[in-house]
Amino acid sequence: MKKVLIAIALSALPAVAFADNVGTCGWGSKVFDGQKGAAAQVFAVTTNGTFGNQTFGISSGTSGCTQDGMVTSTWKTSMFIDGNKERLARDMAIGGGETLDSLAHLMGIRDEHRAQFNRAAQQNLTKIFPSEHVATEQIVVALKDVLSSDRILARYAASI
Amino acid sequence: MPNLLRACVFLVCLSGLTTPPPARAGDYLDELTTRSRELRLHERREWRRLLHYISNLVRPGVHSLADAPGFFLARDGKTDPQAELEAALASFFSTAVETGDSQNPQCQFIARYAWLDRELGFDPARLPPQSCKRFHAWREALNPQGATLVFPAAYLNNPSSMYGHTLLRIDARDQDERTRLLAYAVNYSANTSETNGITFAINGLIGTYPGTFSIMPYYLKVREYNDLENRDIWEYELDLKPEEIDRLLMHIWELGPVWFDYYFFDENCSYYLLEVLEVARPDLDLSSRFRWWAIPSDTVRALVEQQGLLKHAAYRPSNATLILHRLRLMSASELVLANDMSHGRVSIEAPLFAALPPAGKARVLEVSHDYLNYLRATGRSPLSEPAVLARELMLARSRLGAESDDPPVPVPEVRPDQGHGTARIAVGGGHRDGTDFVELRARPSYHELMDPESGYVRGAQIEFFDFALRHYGSGEGLRLEEFKPVDIVSISPRNDFFKTLSWKIDAGWARRRIESGAEPLVFEVNGGAGLARNVPDALQSGTLMYAFLEASARADERIGHGFAIGAGPSMGMIADLTPSWRADLYARGHRFFAGDTDTSWTAGLRQRYTLNINNALRLDVSSERQEKQSWNTVLISLHHYF
Repeated sequence: MKKVLIAIALSALPAVAFADNVGTCGWGSKVFDGQKGAAAQVFAVTTNGTFGNQTFGISSGTSGCTQDGMVTSTWKTSMFIDGNKERLARDMAIGGGETLDSLAHLMGIRDEHRAQFNRAAQQNLTKIFPSEHVATEQIVVALKDVLSSDRILARYAASI
Repeated sequence: MPNLLRACVFLVCLSGLTTPPPARAGDYLDELTTRSRELRLHERREWRRLLHYISNLVRPGVHSLADAPGFFLARDGKTDPQAELEAALASFFSTAVETGDSQNPQCQFIARYAWLDRELGFDPARLPPQSCKRFHAWREALNPQGATLVFPAAYLNNPSSMYGHTLLRIDARDQDERTRLLAYAVNYSANTSETNGITFAINGLIGTYPGTFSIMPYYLKVREYNDLENRDIWEYELDLKPEEIDRLLMHIWELGPVWFDYYFFDENCSYYLLEVLEVARPDLDLSSRFRWWAIPSDTVRALVEQQGLLKHAAYRPSNATLILHRLRLMSASELVLANDMSHGRVSIEAPLFAALPPAGKARVLEVSHDYLNYLRATGRSPLSEPAVLARELMLARSRLGAESDDPPVPVPEVRPDQGHGTARIAVGGGHRDGTDFVELRARPSYHELMDPESGYVRGAQIEFFDFALRHYGSGEGLRLEEFKPVDIVSISPRNDFFKTLSWKIDAGWARRRIESGAEPLVFEVNGGAGLARNVPDALQSGTLMYAFLEASARADERIGHGFAIGAGPSMGMIADLTPSWRADLYARGHRFFAGDTDTSWTAGLRQRYTLNINNALRLDVSSERQEKQSWNTVLISLHHYF
């Protein structure tokens, strides 16, 4: 019976975005400060349970900002920030890296302005990450701020 | 509640599918059906692959591996390819309009539609094509240019993860090597929120979880494997033609809502990825080899071996690999500082830190931060708020401005797919307790400590179903010497940063001497925990010293009391005398204190000389004492991997 229910449930995907979740987009602050038992590690042969039941189209916390598994364009940048806070802070502190490059790409920052962007991020890390559990929206607002107060980067302030 | 809701949505889908075709379509449908029968399309390889049909084991005929009823249009579509094909043709005449939760069959089964259209040449006037806006929006969002097979390799101190996992990355046209994080990953996995490893393992073995395909940004997977699980990732960019990419995506679209019963060892992630790639390129024949046993790393190997399929391989080291690499470049005082800082014991105002040159400061701050994140991800940080410290370290790093001049992590010379084959067969001869013997040994998978190490993880062993047959020169004749269904060892060297515990477990049947001098085949389970260290430098991979405390249990009616329980220490050292020549000197004492009491001793020296990637020579000598009797064994053998 359970199997049948699952079958029915899964057959319905990709499904609608449930209205009550709209507006709270994010991958969730999942498991970074994790506790993993030895047994879980030993037997985690091909597991991928870490991010829960992601099926096409729906994963908890992302309905409303994904359609058939694709992050909708208005959410791309903030979802990326949401999923990469630790790596982003590190890249910004160091003054470059793959994660920061990817963010710059999402924001449409042209190659000739990348060095300036990296420098601005490095110099304003305190502003961009004002506390250890900063919300994604705050990071977005702070980034916008940093960009608009930079003569060269101001043109990109609207693209985030 | 969501289930109920989805059930309703499902019914809506069904009603969409069963809309009767318009009356005038009947003639054209008859015509198409007749042609499909003449061409015997349902027997074609492409159709078999699209529906995941495989031959029945015993009865004639086929069945599909898909277990979701919604994947089939005909009632007996799971076992009847022809009925399914004809039902598909009929469904394409549906005039159902696409909505947010349901699709027209032409769109929902767009890969089948595309193939049948190619084979039969649908007349758009008599079978109007649907616009399939959702599929095209999805495809446009993916903006595909290529596909990459992603293989997260073993994690630290976990030999069973050597089996790995595979997923597929869809590489977008507007990305380059610096922005691959933004690509999407297609992942097939067991759909469960089970966190208990043992429950998960058992259910995975008997196939009670539904396996489903999911799609998500690649950065989530990189974070999961590199940062949380500390697994290195290998990326194999595949050389697929545009039409193959098209087929791949159309089929993935069809699989979105489908589930398959998930089995660890055969119908797992890697098996289905092979099947999906076979839809993309129908003349590939990969999955049939892995019908009963699909080890992800073997499937990677099979793919890479296909002429011209691999375009480029890239390596993405895990956080732990990066940390270890940089620790090896640090001075003694930098090491102490980094360790203390990441535990919050030394602040960035400390004079020792202030005395460092800028590049040294940058290195210490970065390594402290990365190591702190390693501690966080593995639940080992003693701090109540490690995130506060992580932020402080990065703020300090940003104020430095300078760059550390550490070289990047070197790419391993041998990739996981380039190591020795995982199956092994060995022939040898030797002398034991006064008698000559010849030996045949075999195991289907995977890697033993003494096997050539290139492409594998140092100190990790996982073997399944290893057995040895011996023919003795004396009256004994041919006998099964041992059979071990499972034998796992993880010798994980400790240092000041990675305080890992080594462990081992094995179970199987082996010859045990009893008081009468006879040697019945006795079942034994043995396990242990221990410590290991590299000498002389704990951070470099030199000679590996290890020690375990082991416990074991035997059960057999032929031994006294029918059982024995014992415990005792074991220790040894593994040294690579040359890159090809490895030696393992070991000793083990065991006291059986319950049941059939006895004290047994073993000491020996195992040596391996690598001839080439798939052949090695072994020379094993040992001395044993059981039931107050002692004997020596010497065995020379040739090991072949395939």
